[in-house]
Amino acid sequence: MNIVSAARRGLAILIPVAAFLALGSRVPHFLDLSNLLNVVRQSSITGICAVGMTFVIVIKGIDLSLAGLLAFCPMISGVLMLAGVDPPASMAAGMLAGIAMGLFNGLMVSRLTVPAFITTLVVGQISQGLALTINGGSSIGAFPDSFVFIGNGAIGGIPLSDLLLLAFLALGFFIERLTPLGNHIYALGGNETVLRQEGLSAARLQFFVFGFSGFCAAVSGLLLSAQLDTVQPTQGDAYQLDAIAACIIGGVDLAGGRGSVPMAVIGALIIGCLRNVLDLLGIHPFMQNVFIGSIIIVIVYLSGVIRRHGELATRGTL
Amino acid sequence: MSAPVTEVVRAGAAPGEGGAPPTRAPAAGKGRVWIAAGGLLKLVGRNVALLIFLTLVILASLFVENFAALDNAEVILKQSAIPAIAVIGMTLVLMTGGIDLSLGYVVGLASIVSGIMANTWLWPAPAVLAAILVLGLAVGLCNGLITQFMRVPAFIATLGAGYVLYGLAQIVSQGSIINRLPKGFLAIGRTPMFGLPSAVFLALAVAVVFHVLISRTIFGRQLKAFGFGARAAVLSGVPGARINVSVYALCSTLAALCGLLFTVRVNAAQPNMGGGVFTFEVVTAAIVGGTSLFGGVGSVGNSILGVLSIKIIENCINLLGVSYHLYLAVQGAIILLAIILGNLTNRRA
Amino acid sequence: MLEPLVSMRGITKYIYGGDGRPLRNTDVKILEGVDFDLFPGEVHVLVGENGAGKSTLMRILGGVIPPDRGELKIAGARVNLADARDAREKGVAFIHQELNLCANLDVAHNIFLGREPRRRGLKDAGEMYRRSAELLKALSTDLDPRLSVARLSTAQQQLVEIAKAMSFRSRVVIMDEPTASLTKREIDVLFDLIRRMRSEGIGIVYISHRFEEILAIGDRFTVLRDGRLVGTQPIQSFEPNSVIWMMAGRSIDEMYPRTHAVEPEPVLELRGLRLATHTPPIDLVVRRGEVVGLGGLVGSGRTELAKSVFGARRFHSGDVRYLGRKTNGWSPARLIRAGMAYLSEDRKTEGLIPPMSIRENLSLASLRSVAKLGFLSRPREERQAGRLIRQLNIVARSSEQLVSTLSGGNQQKCVLGKWLCTAPRLLMLDEPTRGIDVGAKAQIHSLIDQIAGAGVAILMISSELPELIGISDRVYVMREGGVVAELEAGPELTQERVVACMV
Repeated sequence: MNIVSAARRGLAILIPVAAFLALGSRVPHFLDLSNLLNVVRQSSITGICAVGMTFVIVIKGIDLSLAGLLAFCPMISGVLMLAGVDPPASMAAGMLAGIAMGLFNGLMVSRLTVPAFITTLVVGQISQGLALTINGGSSIGAFPDSFVFIGNGAIGGIPLSDLLLLAFLALGFFIERLTPLGNHIYALGGNETVLRQEGLSAARLQFFVFGFSGFCAAVSGLLLSAQLDTVQPTQGDAYQLDAIAACIIGGVDLAGGRGSVPMAVIGALIIGCLRNVLDLLGIHPFMQNVFIGSIIIVIVYLSGVIRRHGELATRGTL
Repeated sequence: MSAPVTEVVRAGAAPGEGGAPPTRAPAAGKGRVWIAAGGLLKLVGRNVALLIFLTLVILASLFVENFAALDNAEVILKQSAIPAIAVIGMTLVLMTGGIDLSLGYVVGLASIVSGIMANTWLWPAPAVLAAILVLGLAVGLCNGLITQFMRVPAFIATLGAGYVLYGLAQIVSQGSIINRLPKGFLAIGRTPMFGLPSAVFLALAVAVVFHVLISRTIFGRQLKAFGFGARAAVLSGVPGARINVSVYALCSTLAALCGLLFTVRVNAAQPNMGGGVFTFEVVTAAIVGGTSLFGGVGSVGNSILGVLSIKIIENCINLLGVSYHLYLAVQGAIILLAIILGNLTNRRA
Repeated sequence: MLEPLVSMRGITKYIYGGDGRPLRNTDVKILEGVDFDLFPGEVHVLVGENGAGKSTLMRILGGVIPPDRGELKIAGARVNLADARDAREKGVAFIHQELNLCANLDVAHNIFLGREPRRRGLKDAGEMYRRSAELLKALSTDLDPRLSVARLSTAQQQLVEIAKAMSFRSRVVIMDEPTASLTKREIDVLFDLIRRMRSEGIGIVYISHRFEEILAIGDRFTVLRDGRLVGTQPIQSFEPNSVIWMMAGRSIDEMYPRTHAVEPEPVLELRGLRLATHTPPIDLVVRRGEVVGLGGLVGSGRTELAKSVFGARRFHSGDVRYLGRKTNGWSPARLIRAGMAYLSEDRKTEGLIPPMSIRENLSLASLRSVAKLGFLSRPREERQAGRLIRQLNIVARSSEQLVSTLSGGNQQKCVLGKWLCTAPRLLMLDEPTRGIDVGAKAQIHSLIDQIAGAGVAILMISSELPELIGISDRVYVMREGGVVAELEAGPELTQERVVACMV
C-alpha cells in the first residue's frame, strides 16, 4: 500500500469522524459518554447484520431477507423460551432457523441462478409471514432474565451488546483476512472465471456467505429482542435499510469484490450516530429514512462514477 | 434517389444455387424422445400462467367449501382489479430486466396525497385523478433517470426510493388517516356497472391498452428486443435509454392510480397503504404469470392470470379460516415454485 | 532428437450449432486435422488470422475445451485433459490475452488463490508474501506482492501471471498475444524473461500478429488458416510477405460478380478522424454504388472505425460527414433513420436477438416501415419476412422460427436482411462471411454486388484477401489505428500489395 492510498483511506475515516465531532459539539448531549455508549449499543443490531451483509455484497449479492429474519428467528426462540425451553437451547433454535434460511438463499442463487435480490426478498417475505403467523400477529415478551441480560447487561461497564458487536467484528475480520476462505470470497466477487479455473466451487462459497448472513441476522434479531424484552413481528423493517446503508457508507461496492468488515461496522456506527443526532434534534424517524434512502442512492452513484473512471484509466482506449 | 434496395434485390436473380446445407443432423433414437419431452415442456412453458390458474380453480372448487359460487367469484374479481393494474407496470419493468421495489410505497404516497387533495383542498375528482397520475409519473421518471443515467442498479435505486417515498408519505400525513372522503371522489372506483364496481372495468381498460401497447406497437417490440439483448437492440436503432426510463415512469403512474383506487375502495387515505407487502404481491403475480426475471418475456394477460391465481389462494385462505399472515408466507412459497417451474421450462438452457 | 514436450496429432474441432450439438456435415470446421509439436527450450510461434483456429488449438492444449478428434501427448504420455486445472497440473500454463486475475486482490493472493499456504488451518500470509516475493525475484522484478492487482500496469499483471505459472513449475507456457498492450521497454523485459525461461528448458507457445517480435523471439513458427495447418518452419525461413501469404492468401478459385458501377457522389467522408489519442488522423471517402474494402491485421482499428462512424463508440477527434452532414455524436438510432447500417462481426450479441423469431429480427431496425401510427401491421411484417426469406435464400421452416436455431450462414443473411429493410444508403459490413459455409458465402458476395448496384455505398471490413480484393472498387489498408494505403482496383491491386501494406 503506498502512501497516497493509505492517506486516502485514512481520510475516508477521518472526514466523517471530524464531521460528527463538529456536528456533535453543536448538538447537546451527543458527546456525553452515556449517549455515545447508547449509540454503540443501538448500532450493534445494524452492525452485526452489516458483518454478514458485507460478504454478501462482496460476492455481488444483496440480502433483503434481513427484515424478515430479524423477526422470525427471535420469534422462534421467544416462543420456545415462553414454553419453558431453556434460553440457550431456544436461542440455538433461532440461530439454526436463520442459518437454514440463509442456506436456502444460497441454494437458490447458486443452483437456480435466481438473482440474489429476488430470492432474498422472497425468503424475507416467507420469514415475515411465518413470524406473524407463529403468534397470530402480536408481540411476545417477558422473557427469562438471563436472556434479557444479554441485551441490557454490562460487563465491566461495557454493555454486552457492544461486546457482541465487537465479537462479530472480530469474527468477520478473521474470516476476511486470516482464512483462505476469505480470499476465495473476495476472488468470487472479483472474477468468478478465475475462481473456477482454480477448481474452487462458487456454489459452496455462496452457500457459506448467505448462510453466514442468515446467522448474523438471527443473532442480531435475538439481541434486538433481548434489548427490548419483546419480539415484535415486524421489528426487522427498520434495520434492513440501515444494514445496507452501513455497508455502502463503509465503502462496500455493490459491483462486488471490494469492501471490508471493519469499514462496514464503522458505517453502522456512522448510521447510528446520524440517527442519534437526528433524534436529538427532534427529527422524525420517517424523515431520517428519507435521508438514508437518498444517501444510499447517491453513494452508489458516486462509487460507480469512481469505478468507471478508474477502469477507463487503466484500460485506455482502442 | 435510389430505389429501395429490397426492390432491387427482388429484381435480381436468386443469388447462388442450391441453398445452404441442412442446419443440423437429423435427430435419431434417444434424441427424438428428448425433443418430444422438450416440446412438451415448451408448450407448458408458454402457458404456465394458465395452467397454474386452472389448476388452482379446479383444486379450490373441489376442496374449498363456498369457493365455487358466483358471489365469491365476484369477490375475487373485485380484489384483483387493483393489483391487476399494478402488475402491468411491474411486468413492463421486469421485461427490461429491472425491478421496481418502490411500487408499494408509491401507492401509499398516492393514497394520502389524493386524500388531502380531495378532503382538505376540496379538489374535484378529475383534478385529483390527473394530479395523482402526474405525481406517479414524476416519481417514475426519477426512478428511471436514476437507473438509466446514474447507473444505479434498479433494485437499489428503487429500494432507496421506496424508503424516501414512505418517509414522505408519513410526513405528509402527519400520522393521521383521512376518512369520509367526498362522494364525487369515491365515484371514481365505486360507481356500479353491470353489478361490479367501476374499478374492475378501469382495470380491464388499462389491461387492454397495455396489452395492445406490448404486443402490437413499435414500443412493445422494442421493449421486448431490449429486454432480450440490450446491445444488439441499441445497435439496431432501439432507443434503449428512452425505453428504460419510460417503463419506470409507466410503472409508477399505474401504481399511483392503484393508490387512488385503494383509497376509494376502503374510503380512507393512509400512508401505510400498499407498502412492501403490496410490492411483493405484485412481483409474485408477475412471476407466476411467467414474466422472466432476466428480461424479454412477459405478457399482460399472463400477469393478470398471475394476479387472479394469487388472489384465489388468498381467497381460499380466507374461506378456510386460516390466518391472513400465513398468506404472506404462502405467497413466498408460490413465487419460489413459479421460479423453479420457470427454470425448468425456460428458454435459458 | 529430443522428445517433444507437447505433441498434438490430427486435432479436429467442429462448429457447434444453436442446440449445442456439433455440426459434423458442413465443410466449415474450427480445426481440422492439425498437428503441432513443442520441444523443450523452444519458442514456437503460432500465426494466423482471427478465426484461423489458433486460440481454439491452444484452448485445447490448455484444457479449456476438449478436441472432438485427435490425440494429445504431454511429455510422451497420452492425456485427456479434464479442465484448465488438470492441464496446469500436467505442466501447461495458459496466459490469456484477457488477463485472468482478480483485480480486487493483491499480487500474492492472486498467485496463491485456491492453494494458500496454511498454518494450523489458517492462511499463512507471511509465508505467502515471502514465497511470492521469491517467485517475483526469480523473474528479476521487484514488484511488491502486497500491491493490489488493480493498480498494476498490463505488463506487471503479465508478470504476475508468469510468476503464477512458475509457481506450478509449468513446463509449457502458452502466451496469447502477450505484447498487445505493452510499451517497447516492457516488451524488452518480457523478451528477456522468455529467453530465460527458454534456457531453463521450458517450451513456450507464442501467439502474435507482430512480425518483428516473432523474428526477435521465435525459434519455429506454425501457420494456421481456416482451421488447417499450412506449415511449420524454422524461424530462419520467416519472411513477412510469404507468411502473410500463408495466412491470408488463397488461390482465387471463384469468380466475384461485379455488375455495380461507382457514382461520383460521396456518401461517407471521414476528415481527420482520430480513433484514439495516440492514433493518426484518418481521411476516407465512400461513394454511391461503391464497394470500399477495409483491410488490415486484427487490432489495426477497422472495427473501431466502423463503430465510430455508427455512433457506437466514442472517438478522439475529427469529423464524420455522412450525406453531406456532420454526424459526430449521433446515436445509432438516428443514423439508422438516416440510412446508415452496420453489420457487426459479433452476430450473437450485436447483430441478432437470438430468442426472437426471424420475422421480428428482420423488422427490428425498420419498425416504422411496417407500422402505421406506431401500431405494427402483422400482415405487412409477414409479407416482408416472407419476401426476404425467399430473396436471401434463408433456409428455415417458417418466418416464426427463432434465429437462435439457424445455422451461421442463415443467421448472417438475417442480419443482412434486417439492414436491407432499412433501405440503407451506407452499409458497413464487418467480416460479412466469417464462419459461414461456402455456399452461403457466395450468395452473400453476390448480394453485396447487387446492393451496391442499387446505389448503396458499402464499406466492407474483411480479413479474407481474395474477398477484399475481388469485390472492392477501392481498398484502404489500416495499421495501428490509421490508414496507411489506398489502393484502386485493377491489375495493381493484388494480395501481395495489400499484404505489404499491412505489416
